[in-house]
Amino acid sequence: MRLIIFEDEFFDKLYPISYLRPVFELKCGTISLRERIEREFKNPDSFYFMRDYLVPVFSKKFGSNRVNQMSSLQGDDLLIVNGRLLALDIELASGEEGYFEIEGQLAFIFVKKENLDSSVSSLGELLKVMKSKLPNKTVSATMIDFPWNLVQNNSRAIKADFDRLPDKGIHGELSSQAAIVGDKNLIHIAEGASVRPFVTLDTTNGPIIIDKNAIIHPMTHIEGPNYTGENTYIFGGNIREGCSFGPVCRLHGEIEESIIHGYSNKHHDGFLGHAYLGEWVNLGAFTTNSDLKNDYSSVQLYVKGELTDSEDMKVGSFIGDHTKTSIGTIINTGAMIGVMSNVVGSGKLIPKFVPSFCWYLNDKVTKGRGMKKMIETSGKAMSRRGVEMTAEDEEMFRVVYELTKEERTFWIKKSFA
Amino acid sequence: MDIAQRVKEVVSRQLNVRLENIKEDSDFVNDLGADSMASIELVAAFESEFDIEMDEDEALQVKNVGEAVKYIENVIKEQQA
Repeated sequence: MRLIIFEDEFFDKLYPISYLRPVFELKCGTISLRERIEREFKNPDSFYFMRDYLVPVFSKKFGSNRVNQMSSLQGDDLLIVNGRLLALDIELASGEEGYFEIEGQLAFIFVKKENLDSSVSSLGELLKVMKSKLPNKTVSATMIDFPWNLVQNNSRAIKADFDRLPDKGIHGELSSQAAIVGDKNLIHIAEGASVRPFVTLDTTNGPIIIDKNAIIHPMTHIEGPNYTGENTYIFGGNIREGCSFGPVCRLHGEIEESIIHGYSNKHHDGFLGHAYLGEWVNLGAFTTNSDLKNDYSSVQLYVKGELTDSEDMKVGSFIGDHTKTSIGTIINTGAMIGVMSNVVGSGKLIPKFVPSFCWYLNDKVTKGRGMKKMIETSGKAMSRRGVEMTAEDEEMFRVVYELTKEERTFWIKKSFA
Repeated sequence: MDIAQRVKEVVSRQLNVRLENIKEDSDFVNDLGADSMASIELVAAFESEFDIEMDEDEALQVKNVGEAVKYIENVIKEQQA
């Protein structure tokens, strides 16, 4: 059986965090949505479908013969899974043919090779044919419709991931002067990781997973559920429940129910709550986001240019890859900040929407020093961690720059009107 | 209103400098106090005022008010062509 993971047409509801990755590369718990789907199978024969402009970068990751290949849709039984599916508490490989939906959205299809249609010219067409050909069934699971759904499900996912760990236990270094509150059996410290003196690990509400070569420095308090990824260092602070970090993050301060992708830094004091940060984000000292309105009403966020009610009282900020904030940046509740922007706090709240590839200065959106300089700066940030920006990365940035030009121009004009 | 006058008014508003103190040869950094961030805002304000799009690298190399007027006149001509 072949596993096909695809992006459907709703990838743009997950902007800004889906600009530079297929939706199935978004994280929830300790792994990405894709890894969670693939974990259901031993050695999955996986193929992927995504937006064309992402193909050069992700072909390098997955292999060019595995990305957007129509030939992968023939010659074998297929399990075709929507990349927005959070594969928790759901059986994908029952062997039962059907078109499975969650609240009217396609979750997955299982079809035997004899029932495939070789005349189709696109994945979209195949999905339509399968809907009419296969029995339509309903399943119960979670689809990630909006960025905040990842944060909402993070604690649950970490708990499930802990249960699936094959070698739970203390394999790394746990200082005798570190304190554990709750059940020690709910702590996993991987080989090479180090928990230093005067750290407290509290498993009262869930497990704590500290992955390979992570270092938890003195004066850090971590509440489970928590996942601290490989080579991530936490330099003190109050890490509250429901956080996933890394790999290679540098963190400090107060963080609650947040997901931070690899190579992002929040190295100083400041509060980050119910937030989702892409890769290579840097939050300057005292950057703080609000995740709760003073009137306790549900938080509204910009999705595709329209304010959308999250129906949730606690929602923080969503910050695209390569974006940086200055010292003292104060971010409004439910802010969406695009990719590769430079946000300079002026003492006032940063608005609920900041476009991609801009400099936000003195309460105004500007195009800053331009795309070329922004890419150059990101290249420098990457090289500091020993990662090289490829020509494919650069091209992907240029495409997203063009994709976001109209909204950027709109907000710049609005700022100076 | 001619372009030079509109440029001076934008400079006055953005950099908080009295209009009568802005001359053709006023240097943005040394005479008018534009730091790197103020320069970026100034470019954005010119774009908004004249409804043009300027190349960031070129625009940030402009040193004084007179050069800015000439540069903006050229951009307007190019983009209206």
